Amino acid sequence: MIRVSGLTKQYGKKAAVKGIDFTVEPGQVTGFLGPNGAGKSTTMRMMVGLDRPTAGFAEVNGRNYRDLAAPLREAGVLLDARAAHRRRTAYKHLLAVAATHGIDKRRVHEVMGITGIEPVAHKRVGGFSLGMGQRLGIATALLGDPPTIILDEPVNGLDPDGILWIRELLRRLAAEGRTVLLSSHLMSEMTQTADHLVVIGQGRILADGPLQEVVSSVTRPKVRARTREPQRLATALVELATGPGAAVSVVADGTVEIEGLSAEDVARAAAWHGIVFHELTTVEGSLEEAYLALTAHDTEYRSAAIDSQTNGATR
Amino acid sequence: MSPQTSPAHNPTRHADSVFERARFSGLIRSEWVKTASLPSTVLLLIGILAAGLGGSMFLAVTLESSGVPSVASLEQTVNDVLSPMVILGQIIAGIVGVMSIGAEYSSGSIQPTLIASPRRLPVLGAKTLVVFSIVTVVGLVTAFASWTATYPFYAEHGLEARLDAPGVLVAVLGSAAYLGLCAVFGVGIGTLLRSTTIGAVIVFVVTLLGPILASVLPYGLFSRVVRVLMLGNAGDAMSRVRDAPGPFLDIWTGHISAGAGWMIALAWTALALTAGALALMKRDA
Repeated sequence: MIRVSGLTKQYGKKAAVKGIDFTVEPGQVTGFLGPNGAGKSTTMRMMVGLDRPTAGFAEVNGRNYRDLAAPLREAGVLLDARAAHRRRTAYKHLLAVAATHGIDKRRVHEVMGITGIEPVAHKRVGGFSLGMGQRLGIATALLGDPPTIILDEPVNGLDPDGILWIRELLRRLAAEGRTVLLSSHLMSEMTQTADHLVVIGQGRILADGPLQEVVSSVTRPKVRARTREPQRLATALVELATGPGAAVSVVADGTVEIEGLSAEDVARAAAWHGIVFHELTTVEGSLEEAYLALTAHDTEYRSAAIDSQTNGATR
Repeated sequence: MSPQTSPAHNPTRHADSVFERARFSGLIRSEWVKTASLPSTVLLLIGILAAGLGGSMFLAVTLESSGVPSVASLEQTVNDVLSPMVILGQIIAGIVGVMSIGAEYSSGSIQPTLIASPRRLPVLGAKTLVVFSIVTVVGLVTAFASWTATYPFYAEHGLEARLDAPGVLVAVLGSAAYLGLCAVFGVGIGTLLRSTTIGAVIVFVVTLLGPILASVLPYGLFSRVVRVLMLGNAGDAMSRVRDAPGPFLDIWTGHISAGAGWMIALAWTALALTAGALALMKRDA
């Protein structure tokens, strides 16, 4: 379990993290999502005592990370897959970390087995691919068999097999009752792995809740209809779709997309006009849409900045 | 509870976590594994042995061709045996120290190190102890090897420095301990600067370049004090046997006794280590 309260990080006058609060509960995978520079990594670094908060605190299993008697037994952490000396072998790297907590060689071999790096155990880390580096980092995180796991962008550089493997590993760790926090910018990956989401943007929490709730709170389901007479259907629906945010559009392949009307409304209207469907589906909002909606402020800010720059240049 | 991720996992684990707390001995073992698993460090340590043994052998073998002194001087013989190791070894030792922490920052492995030991100061303590021990032992081995290898050459001319002659053993131990202190100085500087390159330059300046520059400064109180305070001159004093006893410390003649040398070297080490410790505790990693 991780608890973050009023956590703030100030670099000079610029605040990277602005007094955020959230809790990461055990037994589920919590996704930590946000654009680059939103404060994800800074927050994770403060959780494990690498960076000192300007204000507020972060607790791992009810205590400040620095006060844990055996930190590796409490939390497994992967912040940077490249955080190992290039000239050292993977085995020696793990052995050096394990030694700090009196963890024996058997466990070192176990975690190498779990992460599939046994075959390259005696190779220097410098020759590793990013994916292999991630596996070594995850092996390091698992050494102490910790109840809390914190991973920053763990699927970066993994091949499809690796992504599937880590998804299953994280689901299994959560099913064992552990607290799992992972950050990622890969939306599809989050959808398939996370149960709970914390979305951060410009140092503030934009959303915090179960994945489906977060998605449905900022996106609206669409109704998609396929028919041989898309224009007639669209015309018929435009009269009905008058509510706020309602929209009807004919997409390239002749599919009609309707927002602001239920599938039932659409079907009734079609029946009234004698239009035949060959497909009618309700499409839930995707995490990607939700994410874009939530972080729209950041994007607007950036485009505005670019606009003013180009204006200045053309003048 | 999957047996695949946690064979040792059991619900009561937290109850007995007091038996699993991270100990200082674990940190020492960790630092030892780190040092011994880096080829560059091992090569540098071999370099101390090679430079010390090679240099003293060279001086011993060329003793006759360069002119055998007519008066036996214990100071001269001991200096010929130990100074090659001290002069070249002090830089190598300092770099070993700088690298032991600088490499952690440049490779990013400082992150897992501090995550495993978030209180940080024990990491610096363990690193200091391990680096000091390894370098001092290598210094001792080199000093005794140099002494043993060159002994016959000096004995031939009655110039030998017997270990039981007054001050000889102290000089041998002093030379090895000086290398150890140089390494600790390097650990402190490396922690402060987080850079192997700049750290190595500073080691070079205070051990070798500084004493040379200070000796060519215009004669005055300032240049005299600077000269006496240089780490390299303290090392020279620690590894020297005096034919004629002198004062504890004389700024004007530049005479530094072994005891004063120890104190100056310890002061440098303590200063660097304290600065490094403060930076380590205060800064974000």
